[in-house]
Formats: sequence, C-alpha cells, structure tokens
Amino acid sequence: MKQTLISEAMVLEEVKKAIAQTLKVDKDSIQAENSLMKDLGAESLDFLDINYRLEQAFGIKTARHFVLEHIEEMFGEGSAIDENSQLTGKAIALLKIRLGNDLPAELRPGMDMDEVPPLVTVEGMAKVVLDILDTLPEKCGACGGKAWKSENGLRIKCGSCGGEATLTDGDTLTQEWLIHVQKEKKIF
Amino acid sequence: MVRQPFKCRVVITGCGMITPLGKNTEETFDHACRGMSGIDYITAFDTTHLPCRIGGQVKDAWLEGEEAGAERFYKFSSRGLRLMRKATVEAAQQACLDNLAHRDRIGVSFGFHGDSPAVEDLMFLHRFYDGKGAWDMEGLMRTGGYSYLNFLRRKPDVATTILPKMFDCRGPNLTVASACAAGSQAIGEAYRLIQEGKADVMIAGGSEAALNFMGFVGFVLIKALVERYSTPQKASRPFDRKRNGFVMSEGAGAVILEEREHARSRKVPILGELLGYGASADAYRITDTHPTGLGAVLAMRGALEDASVEPESVDYINAHGTSTAQNDVTETRAVKEVFGKRAKEIPISSNKSMLGHAIAAAGTIELILTLMGMNRSVILPTINYEFPDPKCDLDYVPNEARKKEHRIALSNSFGFGGQNACLCVGKVAG
Repeated sequence: MKQTLISEAMVLEEVKKAIAQTLKVDKDSIQAENSLMKDLGAESLDFLDINYRLEQAFGIKTARHFVLEHIEEMFGEGSAIDENSQLTGKAIALLKIRLGNDLPAELRPGMDMDEVPPLVTVEGMAKVVLDILDTLPEKCGACGGKAWKSENGLRIKCGSCGGEATLTDGDTLTQEWLIHVQKEKKIF
Repeated sequence: MVRQPFKCRVVITGCGMITPLGKNTEETFDHACRGMSGIDYITAFDTTHLPCRIGGQVKDAWLEGEEAGAERFYKFSSRGLRLMRKATVEAAQQACLDNLAHRDRIGVSFGFHGDSPAVEDLMFLHRFYDGKGAWDMEGLMRTGGYSYLNFLRRKPDVATTILPKMFDCRGPNLTVASACAAGSQAIGEAYRLIQEGKADVMIAGGSEAALNFMGFVGFVLIKALVERYSTPQKASRPFDRKRNGFVMSEGAGAVILEEREHARSRKVPILGELLGYGASADAYRITDTHPTGLGAVLAMRGALEDASVEPESVDYINAHGTSTAQNDVTETRAVKEVFGKRAKEIPISSNKSMLGHAIAAAGTIELILTLMGMNRSVILPTINYEFPDPKCDLDYVPNEARKKEHRIALSNSFGFGGQNACLCVGKVAG
C-alpha cells in the first residue's frame, strides 16, 4: 500500500546523503535531476555502494538486477537488448510506462546499452526507494497490527509489536510489475 | 624511437604450470589444443544459493606427491603457494637450474596476492574479541593464540621468500601484486632486470588460489562473475555476444628467463625470446576500464616499441579476453587502434575461454601457452564462440585450434583497476 510515514522529501534527502558519502561530494550541491555518472562522477561500483547505504538506512533490499535484465530473463533473450546490444522498441515502450514523464529524452530504440547507466539520476534512485517502501503490507506479519510508525522517518516499524515491516525486495518488485504490465499491455 | 645503447637479450629456458586443464604445461597445452574446458561446479566450498557457482579448480590429486625436500615448505604454504611450487619446479627442471654455479645471479619476480584468511581462522579469533575494540589477549595467548603460520601464508611476499630458499637463488627479489596484470608484470620486470645486467637468470611467474569463500564472494557481490550460463563449460565465452562475466579459476605458471648468451653458453634448449614489455595504467576509474582502451593501447604500443617490432610483424595476439562485457569490447577497440586495418587479419584468441581467469597466474600461463603454440605452429582457440557481437569483430580463432606458422606474438593482461601489461615474444629459429 502507499505509505505516508516517510515523505518523498525525506527519501530524496537520504539518497543525497548516501551519494554524498559515497562520492565524497558536498550534499547541498547535489540536485535531484543530476546524473550520477555524468554530473557527480560515479562509476559502476559506486552504485552498489549507494544502494547498500540506502538498504541500511531504510531497511530495504534494492534490486540486484536492472529492469532490462529482468525483461531478458522473463521474456526471452533479445526482448530488451538486441544482438547489437541496443535497446529494443519494446524495451523503450515498457520504460515509458515505468517512468512516465520522468522518461529521459535520450532514451530511444537503438540506443546502446552502455549509454543507459549515465541516465540514472538522483531522483530516479529516490523513486526506487519509494516504490519499495510502498510495498508496505496492511498488517504486520508478526502480530497482525495495522498501526505502522516510523520514529526516525526512515524505517517503518509495527506500532503494536515493534517489529520491522516486511517490504518486497527490489528484484521481486520489478518482476511482479513486469508480470502485471505484460498482462495488461501484452508488449512482449 | 629511441633505443638504449645496449641491452642484454632475454630468452626463455624453462616453463611450468598447473591449471584447471592439466597438472603441467604439456597436459594443459594438449587439452587446450582440443578446445577442452577446465570449468565446473566449485567443490572447494559450499556455494549453494550464490548466483555464480562455478570456477576452474585444480585437482587436489595434482598437488599431492610433493617434490623432494618440500616437506620443509609445506607448513608455510597456502594453496596458492603450493600451486606456485609445482609450477616453478617444472620450469626449473626444464631449465636445469640446479646446474648453475653463480646463485647470486639468479633472481625471483613473482605475481601473488597472498591467500585470503580462512573463515575458520576468523571464527577462532572471534572468541577473543568483543566487537567493540577490546581483545581478550590473555585468552588468545593462553590458547596458543593466533596461528603465526596463518599470518605468514597470507602475506604476498612469502611467495618470494619461499622461492629463493627452494632454488637457492640470491639475486634480486620482488613480489608483484597488480591483479590480473601481475603474472605478466612479474615477467616484464624480471626481463628488465636481466636486460640491465642485474641478473643472469630470473624465476618469474604468478599464482592464484582464490576459490574459497573469502576470495570468491567479493567478486560475486560486485557482479564481476558470470551468472547466466547453460553449463559450466559454456560459461566463459570471450568476445561472444552472450558473455556476461568472467569465470574465476586457480593455478600457477612460471618461466625461467635467461640472458641469451648465458643460455647459449650452457647449451640449454631455448624455448623463445622475450622481445618487449609494455606497462601502463588507465588512470581512469577505480574499477571500470577506460572505454576506449587507452591503457591497453599504451601497453601494447609500449611492448612493440620496446621490442623494436612494427605492428605489421605481429602474427598472433593472446588476448586478455575475460568474457566480461567491458573488457572484450575495450580490448577489441584497443587492438584496432594499435593495428589499424590489419587488426582483422591478426588471429587473436583467449585462453580464458577454456581455463577461466586465474588472476595473478593468468598472464604467465597465457604467455607460456603462446610460446608453446608458436613452437608447434598451433594457434589455440577461443571456445564457446557462438554468437558474434558486432562490437567484437576480429578473428578470435573460434572454437578450433588452427595450424599456422607464426613467429611474433603479443600476450595481453589488463587489470580490473586499469593496470595493464603486454609482453612481446618471438620464436627462436632452429
């Protein structure tokens, strides 16, 4: 369910903090629309580091695989990335649904896979966290309580038993979403 | 091109190796000629639920039957050092190293990173530590404490402590720790020492034994290893479109380098000549390689210049070819940059398709296989080449060894963090 305990602004702030700590840049200089690679100097391994910090902060598990890898896994080789390692039209159609207005203008069919990671932005990472937080179940898995709370504005706990909320991990969430979209839109 | 006024020429008089494909050079080369794979499921530790569960293991049986007098070294040797001893003994025997009189003119240069601490050792230590900075040192000392032997085994420099003792060689001595480039750099630096007259003979090589929890899991976590494969044998597929990470393996390689006149005077068989060495750094990012292969270009050009060999004269390239998306594209780009239009005419193959990637040992093993192929007019194949990648469009010697006379070759080794080395070798007439 859509959770309201942790605000978008809070998540964005925490994402900026994780990026600032990882890349050793001034937090206040980070803009929501900044590209991690192009604007902030991140390299591939830094993404793992930032994700790890966010996992620790929010008590979540981010996706180990990119959505395009999941598409390939679920709908067959060549469905997202063609034999020239370029994005397929179907992959773009799907990303349009996923990102809506946030779809980067550079994203187009025939785009090289190598050009995708530089499109990841600060607000894009915040959205990943928010999506996982929104998998908050109605009831606490341990005691059945319905009153969630967050004392530090980052981690969601049960108001009755104090147990940590069970949130869906990033990879499962992506897979569930792909199944859902495929059912409705039949892209692949 | 500025040539130094005089530099000694350096030849190779001994080779040894132990790899997932064989217990020595002959067996490894023979299996590689037939395009066999040394990759299988890892049995050395429990890999259940890891996204990568395969590697190139050396059979334990091949490590049994220690050479005479080796009992003394056994307790100091981790697995990586035992592999090293096997490979160096083979090389030293071939070069008749025992017969040499001036032992202070023999040096050692070896690529090794030390072996990771065993989880069991850490568990033992855990009992004496409160996790917050306080140690029960009394308890630690009373129970025999932390095994100093374990401490020794993990130090990279122990490699070049053991070798001089084993072979009684008192010349220059260095350990090289530069990831995937170490096995080539160790040879390159040894070559320089002989060129400059600092030694007559050098034992050089590399060893790696990281197929254990501590050595392996880190590579899994950073997603460097292959995760999608139909069978273990098909997982390492350099330059193929469906490659998706490297396969880690273990092993060791060693060569005996020797000043040419020194080798001639004692009439040992000369297996090849080391013509040039180039080394460079990408200075780009910590873990990504330079997208245009800048460092790789510098290393290859460095080796060619050092050898006074024109790009037109190169007959074969033994690729670094790790089977990662990144390396194989940038290496292809770099080869095109160095060789221009001729790039597509030069056979280039990756032994890692069969052997996996033995990190610090890889460069040495691959140089030896290059040399053996040259002496037998065989170019080893890149196996598992099935789906061409438009970005990798050179002649990768797909799937089957090729009979072809060749006289000058390059052997590439490009480290994960941008450490690059390239060796140029030539066939010796007769």
